[in-house]
Amino acid sequence: MKAFAAALALSALMLAAVSAVAAAAADPTARAQRSAPGGIRGRLVLAQAPRSNERRPEVASPGAGGFRERTDRRAGVVYLEQAPRGAFDEPVRVRAVMDQQNERFEPHLLAVTVGTMVEFPNSDRTYHNVFSLSRAKRFDLGRYATGKSKSVLMDRPGVVRVFCDIHSHMNAFVLVFAHPFFDVTEPDGRYELANVPPGSYTVVGWHEGEPRVERAVTVSSGSWVELDLSAP
Amino acid sequence: MPLLYLLACLLFAARASAQGLPTEPVSVAGGRVVFGGEVFVTFGEKDPGWFNYTDYEYNALRNIRLSLATEVRASQRLQVLAELRLDHGQHFSAYALFARIRPWPDRRFDVQIGRVPPTFGAFRRTIYAYDNALIGQPLAYQYLLALRTDSVPLNADDLLRARGNGWLVGYQVGSAERSPGLPLFKSNLYDTGVQVHGVAGALEWTGAVTAGSLSDPLLTDNNGRPQAVGRATVQLGPAVRLGASGARGAWLDESLDSALPSGETARDYRQDAVAIDAEVSAGRWLGRAEWIRASWRLPALVAPLIADPVVAESFIVEGRVRLWPGVSLAARADTLQFSDLTGSTATMQWEAPVRRFETAVTYAVTRNIGAKLAWQRNLRDGGRVRHDSLLASQLVYWF
Repeated sequence: MKAFAAALALSALMLAAVSAVAAAAADPTARAQRSAPGGIRGRLVLAQAPRSNERRPEVASPGAGGFRERTDRRAGVVYLEQAPRGAFDEPVRVRAVMDQQNERFEPHLLAVTVGTMVEFPNSDRTYHNVFSLSRAKRFDLGRYATGKSKSVLMDRPGVVRVFCDIHSHMNAFVLVFAHPFFDVTEPDGRYELANVPPGSYTVVGWHEGEPRVERAVTVSSGSWVELDLSAP
Repeated sequence: MPLLYLLACLLFAARASAQGLPTEPVSVAGGRVVFGGEVFVTFGEKDPGWFNYTDYEYNALRNIRLSLATEVRASQRLQVLAELRLDHGQHFSAYALFARIRPWPDRRFDVQIGRVPPTFGAFRRTIYAYDNALIGQPLAYQYLLALRTDSVPLNADDLLRARGNGWLVGYQVGSAERSPGLPLFKSNLYDTGVQVHGVAGALEWTGAVTAGSLSDPLLTDNNGRPQAVGRATVQLGPAVRLGASGARGAWLDESLDSALPSGETARDYRQDAVAIDAEVSAGRWLGRAEWIRASWRLPALVAPLIADPVVAESFIVEGRVRLWPGVSLAARADTLQFSDLTGSTATMQWEAPVRRFETAVTYAVTRNIGAKLAWQRNLRDGGRVRHDSLLASQLVYWF
């Protein structure tokens, strides 16, 4: 009889606890307060100014090449090393553009998610031949003329170095991520990773040709973490 | 001294690229000084027919080259360019050294003075492994003919006896020492002189006055009459480019003056050359073709006389297709044919006609490191060895 009473009391206690949890879960305000996404922002600072990509010395040419604007190589990418759960729930199918103007890729650095179709229009008067031999994506679009465009589906995460087979000074980067928590920095290094669920993460700063920099960070519910990164 | 310069450049480049081997040109001083380079190792089978030998008496299919190019951008109007090269592990030279003057920086008009790049021909850049879809060069740009600047045949029989022996030839008149002959166009040496280059819309043109001749570019002229050479190309849309080249220069060495017919000097013996070429490309395909006609006037000394200039004609056709990313297949076929010459007993082409077919597969390990494997077939209607088939491989690194 005593055992039956104890079991009954325990069951009532569990039922009450479950009911309280269920009630709290059904309250959207309480839930939002507890799991509101936060963010990470700051600057990716480069230790030294990046060199512009120069033409090879035109020793074999009877004359200098035409005028070419220099590529702005200051941009980097800041991203989360591991994405929070749920970041992969909705596969993204978007398009991005990397143009070819004045014998350079524009933008020089593009960051996209897996599944993005990257267009490579040719806006120059000469042929271009976009290709990549990167492990993340090997492709060769062949030569095509002004006004034409060809595209590549970025279907694996990684760094894709892009070149032109005709103009050796043309190069660019496409960084492909399996999650949406990344940002290409502004020329002054500013970045912002928004909608980051609360939790602990490793933030990575990446700049071409330089070793990447990593920092651990904890994001609290509904708050922004200020984080500056210095690339060596 | 040049070796010290090369070492200094390499050290400079290495410091500037602490990450390891550079993957793109190395610039210092805010982009005012730019270094680029090419290293290749070519290893081919023995060439018993001497088909691939160059003026250095070395096989072009067996070479280790280290090349370092530098561009000093003193201002928008003045640049100084140089290329130092080590060939076959021992032939070291300042291959190119010239000033490029741009009087109007916003226009594509250049004046180049010094040891300048060759003006003639569409395939002249095949000396660079980076620009060559195959390993060998076209015959007209490399194959040694039975012609010398300092030694000339006494008569037609003398010249006909030397057919197919351009790799080591000597005649009764002039230098008695046997040495390598001349190619139709010695593209592996730069010219020395003044070169003017301009671009106007689809037209690109280059003219130059240089020492020596097409077959024998020199640092200082050997007969007092420089060469005039020009080239123009027109771009017919992005897919098609047409070009034409011409050259005229005295080619014999003045050391022969005393042996020439009275009243004539080496200045009177010209090499003339004309060429037309076309390049067509689309998608993964690239095709090039060139026809060249060159003539050399030789002294008419003793019967049977060499009365007319001896003529060589070359036709080159080349194609390349990219099979997969980083993998391409290329092929080139070219010929050298010669004018007829009548000797004591027969009339025949004054040099042994030569044909070459070469095909190569290139695999790009990275963008600037590649490996080639080529097979070459040579056929010659004369000489000790009439044909040979060669396998060659090449590893190329450039930045």
